[in-house]
Amino acid sequence: MLHASLYIAGCSAKNRVAVRLRRLREPRYFVGALLAASYFFFIFVVPRGGRRRLPAGARFPSAPLERFGVALGGVGLLLLSTAAWILPSRSHLFSFTDAEEAFLFPAPVTRRQLLLHRLIRSQLGLVFAAMVPVLLVAAPGTVASVVDRLLLGIGLWVVLVATRVYFAGVTMARDHLGSSDRRVQGVAWAPLLVMLAALAVVAAAIARAVPIPVALVPATLAQITEATTVGWSSLALWPFRTLLGPFFARGAVPYLVALSGSVLVLLATVVWVIESDRVFQGVSGGAATPLATRPQSRVTAPPRLRWSGWSLPLAGRTETVFLWKNAMETLRGTSAKSLIPIAILILYAVLGARFGMSIGLAPAVCFAALMMAGFTTMIGPGSVMGDLRGDLRHLELLKTWPVKASAVLRGELLWPGILISACAWLALTCAVVLSGAAFPRVPFVWRFSLYVVAIVLVPALVFAQYVIHQAAAVLFPAWVPTDNEMRGFESAAQRLILFGGVVLALVVIVGPGAIAGGIVAFAFLRLTGSPLVFVPAALVCLAVVAIEIVLATEALGAAYDRIDLSGVERGESSRSRR
Amino acid sequence: MALIVNHLTRTYTGPANSVITAVDDLSVEIAGGEIVGLIGPNGAGKTTTLRSIAGILLPSSGRIAVDGHDIVTDAIAAKRRLAFMPDEPHLFEYLTVLEHLRLVARLYAVEDFDRRARTLIAELELTGKERSLPGELSRGMRQKVVIACGLVRDATTLLFDEPLTGLDPVGIHRMRETIVARGRAGACVLVSSHLLHLVEEICTRVVIMDRGRKIADGTVAELASRADLAGAGSSLERIFLRVTGHDTAGSRP
Repeated sequence: MLHASLYIAGCSAKNRVAVRLRRLREPRYFVGALLAASYFFFIFVVPRGGRRRLPAGARFPSAPLERFGVALGGVGLLLLSTAAWILPSRSHLFSFTDAEEAFLFPAPVTRRQLLLHRLIRSQLGLVFAAMVPVLLVAAPGTVASVVDRLLLGIGLWVVLVATRVYFAGVTMARDHLGSSDRRVQGVAWAPLLVMLAALAVVAAAIARAVPIPVALVPATLAQITEATTVGWSSLALWPFRTLLGPFFARGAVPYLVALSGSVLVLLATVVWVIESDRVFQGVSGGAATPLATRPQSRVTAPPRLRWSGWSLPLAGRTETVFLWKNAMETLRGTSAKSLIPIAILILYAVLGARFGMSIGLAPAVCFAALMMAGFTTMIGPGSVMGDLRGDLRHLELLKTWPVKASAVLRGELLWPGILISACAWLALTCAVVLSGAAFPRVPFVWRFSLYVVAIVLVPALVFAQYVIHQAAAVLFPAWVPTDNEMRGFESAAQRLILFGGVVLALVVIVGPGAIAGGIVAFAFLRLTGSPLVFVPAALVCLAVVAIEIVLATEALGAAYDRIDLSGVERGESSRSRR
Repeated sequence: MALIVNHLTRTYTGPANSVITAVDDLSVEIAGGEIVGLIGPNGAGKTTTLRSIAGILLPSSGRIAVDGHDIVTDAIAAKRRLAFMPDEPHLFEYLTVLEHLRLVARLYAVEDFDRRARTLIAELELTGKERSLPGELSRGMRQKVVIACGLVRDATTLLFDEPLTGLDPVGIHRMRETIVARGRAGACVLVSSHLLHLVEEICTRVVIMDRGRKIADGTVAELASRADLAGAGSSLERIFLRVTGHDTAGSRP
């Protein structure tokens, strides 16, 4: 079976690469790839200000960094691992494609072999995901040796595999938390309880060590490090620290020792998942896998009918048809659990406002809300594909509709743009409510002005990015993934290329608006001196970007009409993902 | 003529920059009320032809007009008159059956939607499934939804690609009746299918394609009487095998 898995993974990767290389014969793809490659070369490979070699011995992290890094990284991983139990998303590591179901399920192989097959198939993508950052992104102005980067890449790869397998195990266990079988229930609940216990131990240790109100950042980091490297909390964090060990090892031998520990944690995670699955399925692991107990491919809950009261009016603009359709897909396809982090943030902001910021964590939550707003604005449009990218698989149907192409493009970006903007607004509002605690020396009028400016600029940035993604979908359909699943290492490369393109295009689109807004702000600031002048400046910027968006969708309409369906990526489908 | 396909050619770029001609200089005219069967072996270019007529693929050369509206230069007017029902039911995962119909009604500005939807749902035996999501339906049911979406409006040209795929015997019977009824009502119907008995039964004319080219066009009786098909018999299956060069039985002494 191992041979078959490697054969499938190898042949699929080879053929995918061949197809994508062949696509470069098309001038537009060739030019796009050339531009993207140049972008990455000049941004990452050729550092600004010339290259310099690191002095001997400086390639390893310093002792304080190693100490802080391991401890804080361990705490971070523990938090993420616990959060995985409440995150609404599911792991697709063990989701089998239709082809795998057709060829492998009837084959005389064990369930364990099937799970390992999926693990093997995901490796090329993970290796690429681990190697690209460490090969491309070096310390600014330095050239770390290729060997150093490879060693870091290997460490990162082990971490990625371990987290992926762990998340698959969590997904599997979550599905069985309500089982009536006591043994199954025990196996499902045990890791969650262990994780909660570890979190409680570490949180208690940190709470004892870090006084409130929080002091300066370096002192707090030192206190957290101190608290988590001794006693029970050290034990609770051991697997997480061990996993991160290779990043902070100083020297070849310590690196190998750390890597061995990291691999050990990975193997333990794999064994946990496979053994849990054996219990959950109630099979001995020796028999061929019957379809009735196939691993997780179609056990995801079917979509539920929600928001049925919001009906599509029978008359109106074409754009609103797409707004409604995409809204239905999001609202019906999103679990209420996904709103938990947002609800917590709102609750905290409300409490902060009600009790006058006397809650010790107000500044931290304010910073977190600001980060969330920035992250949502800049990363959200790339991740939330409720626009034409998500509809590329329906393109055959869309193209039969008697509607203007530009209206389709505008309609497709309306809902996701509104959604992402609303999320960012929410986070900004929470941040401004708590900003008094985080920025006590900044006058209210400045905080409020900047808040309004951000509220105005968020939709400009979000919709501009969606236009760029629509343009990419129309002009380079073969490079646009139709979902968030990574299908291979070359897919990751394509995403990197697209990311570079989006950043460049965003600068081009927002540039004129920023210049116009800047002129307005400069003129009014000289007259009034009030920070409120940034508000009209932001409105001018928004207006310019809005005009550009309308013009861009009109221009892209012709390209939409000519879009070649054969270019749309259609990998091995999995019914569970449809 | 309701549908005019004039010298349609559609090519693709294949491996090593080779040019693959999926449809080669195809010309067909179909009048209102005609039900034309489009048959041919796998890879003959049937689906490419239908997708080109539907406006999904742009022709490499040639012209397609629906009620006089060119599918490339006057696409919106042409598409308003067209209904394409593909063999693979493409439905939106989170829209119910009724919402799919409503969506189409909005896009095509259908009047009297409620009555039409009720009638169609009953006709296609989708009663009770109005509020079901596609994930809750069988493949046959989803195929029926696609067909209902095509029929909910007054299209003058109906394109069916393997319309019976996934349907049960009752569904097949109903679908046959539906297609014939639309033809009798004056619609121009083009049906692509490998089910030769269906084509023979419901179609007023047959177009046979092979390797992208039209190799025969006419009623079954006309084809049977063609000199080069003499001896093939009057069954469409024998005619098809003969005209595509697969009639090994007929070539025996």
